[in-house]
Amino acid sequence: MLGSILSQYARTLSVFAVLLLIVLIEALGVREAVYPGLLPFFTWMRESSWLGVIGTTYGSVYATVEAVHLLSMAVLGGTVLATDLRLLGVIFKDIPSETLVTGTHKCFRWALLVAILTGIFCAAGVGDKVYYMQVFWIKMLVLLLGSCYMLFIKQPFLTSRPHAEINPWMIRLLAITSMLTWFTVAATGRWIGFS
Amino acid sequence: MGDNNKWDDKTVAAVSTAAIMLGGLLYYWVGEGQSTVELLELAYGSVKFFNNPLVF
Repeated sequence: MLGSILSQYARTLSVFAVLLLIVLIEALGVREAVYPGLLPFFTWMRESSWLGVIGTTYGSVYATVEAVHLLSMAVLGGTVLATDLRLLGVIFKDIPSETLVTGTHKCFRWALLVAILTGIFCAAGVGDKVYYMQVFWIKMLVLLLGSCYMLFIKQPFLTSRPHAEINPWMIRLLAITSMLTWFTVAATGRWIGFS
Repeated sequence: MGDNNKWDDKTVAAVSTAAIMLGGLLYYWVGEGQSTVELLELAYGSVKFFNNPLVF
């Protein structure tokens, strides 16, 4: 009986296991205990790693990589908006939503990969600055949760059946959550830049 | 919603995750909005967005 439930609802149980883990990390003070130990790593990233040295020595390289980072975020945001606004029935009404959901996902994954790789370089150049910024950690948390949400929750669900068989309110909930998630990633990213 | 209109694994995971994340994000942005208004009140004395823009 228990084994049947575990295998039948493995994905749901994983979600609640992650939620429980987050609650435990907060309740037991793990985050506060780990945080001070990360400072040497961020200082090393900026001052000693080749990423940080290149980023702080050659302004043109940093600016070029940051431009690629912004472009990849723009592509990522474009795929998210195209998909989610179609799911909400706002744009591209003549294209089946299933087509857009599957068609944009490959582009989304590549844009996410490029954004993460260039983002590591950008963060390394200002490692000892972002370490102290709460908004940087908010962005990392939302980026991690948003990526997992898109890759392991939303996309598998939306490609598992025709959208006509899904409750429209579920589709709206998924689309609004996705848009707010990536809006938060973009907004906190710009917040880092202006802090 | 799967066979026999049941909430299958992917459906429950998708809806619960989306609801939790949406709640968390709204909580964060409402909190940021509140703290922004508090900062503006500290800076300008009072903030009235709708009644009298000139006070702001």
